[in-house]
Amino acid sequence: MFRDFFLLAARSIAHRKMRSWLTIIGVFIGITAVVALISIGLGLEKTINDQVSEVFGIDSFVISPEGTFGPGGGHGTDTFAIDLDEVRAIDGVQEAAAIRDETGFVEGLPDAEGDSVKGFLSVMGLSPELLTEFPSFVGEVELEEGGRQFTDADRYVTILGNEVAGRLNASLGSMIEIEGQPFEVVGVFVASEEDESEQRGMMSYDAGSGDDTVYVPYDVLLDLYGPAESVLVTLVRITDGADVDDVADRVETTLNEQGAEIMAITYSDISDMVGTMMSTISAFLAGIAGISLLVGAVGVMNTMFTSVLERTKEIGVMKAVGAKNSHVWIIFLTESGMMGLVGGAVGTILGLALSWGASALLSRVFGIDIAVVASASLIAITLLGSFGLGAIAGLWPARRASKLPVVDALRYE
Amino acid sequence: MSFLELRQVTKEYQLGKTTVRALRGLDLSIAQGEIVAIMGPSGSGKSTLMHILGALDVPTSGLAELEGTDLATLSESQLVTVRGQRIGFVFQTFNLIQTLSAQMNVELPMIFQKVPRRDRAQKATTLLERVGLGDRTHHKPNELSGGERQRVAVARALANDPEIILADEPTGNLDTESGASILDLLKTLSRNDGKTIILVTHDPEAAEIADRIVQLKDGAVRKEAGHV
Repeated sequence: MFRDFFLLAARSIAHRKMRSWLTIIGVFIGITAVVALISIGLGLEKTINDQVSEVFGIDSFVISPEGTFGPGGGHGTDTFAIDLDEVRAIDGVQEAAAIRDETGFVEGLPDAEGDSVKGFLSVMGLSPELLTEFPSFVGEVELEEGGRQFTDADRYVTILGNEVAGRLNASLGSMIEIEGQPFEVVGVFVASEEDESEQRGMMSYDAGSGDDTVYVPYDVLLDLYGPAESVLVTLVRITDGADVDDVADRVETTLNEQGAEIMAITYSDISDMVGTMMSTISAFLAGIAGISLLVGAVGVMNTMFTSVLERTKEIGVMKAVGAKNSHVWIIFLTESGMMGLVGGAVGTILGLALSWGASALLSRVFGIDIAVVASASLIAITLLGSFGLGAIAGLWPARRASKLPVVDALRYE
Repeated sequence: MSFLELRQVTKEYQLGKTTVRALRGLDLSIAQGEIVAIMGPSGSGKSTLMHILGALDVPTSGLAELEGTDLATLSESQLVTVRGQRIGFVFQTFNLIQTLSAQMNVELPMIFQKVPRRDRAQKATTLLERVGLGDRTHHKPNELSGGERQRVAVARALANDPEIILADEPTGNLDTESGASILDLLKTLSRNDGKTIILVTHDPEAAEIADRIVQLKDGAVRKEAGHV
């Protein structure tokens, strides 16, 4: 029987093409906006998560000064130096590496006139393991020919950013001075291309290219500056089979018991954080788009009231030939629900097209690739929701139709 | 006890602030298979009487019985069932659903009675053939002439095999020839199928087919006269 009512409703919608379409347009504009925003939002979240997981993998996490990701920002580990060997000793930890940032007085080689460049530069201490064990954090590292990366045995050696090498007039094999201590240049980074879109890993601490940074082995900074007050980040890789969140908890607890103020951040922490942030933004945007949906729903209601008024006599006739109030109610509700559904279907298609378009545009113009998420559940929920929206908008008019006294309805001209 | 029995029926309704007394103690009994014409000037209560006979409305007071069941005691949904199963309506203005084909218009009362799709399609086709529209089943009302539309309406009235056909001015919007053929059709339904036909009309020619003519005046029966 519902199929028959469906047919009756469809005929009635098709009969009033112009008005039905105008009503449906009102619905699909709202649906388009909502679908596009949700799909872009989900896509953005997915893209960020993918990148984060690419960097972290499933077996690594980061130790960071407490508050780094919270309000107030990081305040450094202050007086506490993380001893990497101690971290390595914690159950479940396979490898640990750290990055430490200092500002150091650096003196280059004299040029042809005998003048040498000196000044304060960013001196970054890298664990040798960083490059070998955590390549995804560092991004692609390319040295000029003949250069090499740090090894465990290295002490007073340095790798220079491309630009800084030029400024210091240094090249492979030359000696420069950091805090008065001579360092041998064992490598020079290849000049980075000024291409922002090239992913350098999320720990590309130097927002730019790192071209003007002097890199030295991590342990050497201890000799030069004493215990770390400015460890940027410590990376930990867990042993095979260990649970990353368990190990992270253990490391966090152990170090904090020793007086550190650090937190261990795993992929799932970041993923949760990104998820929360994105869903807040998405909900906010979808809420705004929801206003246009509300307007669409009022449009459906208006059309249905007009329809009830126009078809008063028809309602009377249906009741005279045996339609119950509930039949009339269902017919009208189906009709408004179907307008919602058609609006939803058109809106879903346009919404997805819009987000694909936006994604393509972003990729083309800004080189940012954002996945478009068009999950079956999103589509199903949207269609169901738009049918529901139409039906809800039709509740009141349909109720009025069903309650019309048959004699009055038949007499209506 | 007759088939349809009205005793001392009154019907009042509010029109703005005034109370209209449409029926004022009306007595009428109708036998099964009878053709009764109800005539009378405008305002004599013809329409109100038809509403009560058709279970569209219940009396303010008095008794309206269909085979011993007092219609006033039935709930709204029971009245709907009575209308749907036992009474077929034919209106002056045809009152077909414009968006539906002749076939679907005839099927409509059967949809509300939950008749299976196949059965009702077959029944509708048979009925349309019977009223001479076998080749018009897929036409919409606005593609049919007045006489044809009224035939569709008659077929629709017959959809659920009702015992009673209530025709309100069935020839009122038709030319003489179409009107005559509708009257023939109604007459056949009474003679061959034993349907009780109640004809509300101004038209003396329509009244011609009746076994009995009931004249109304001021909400009561003024005169009853046998025919033939």
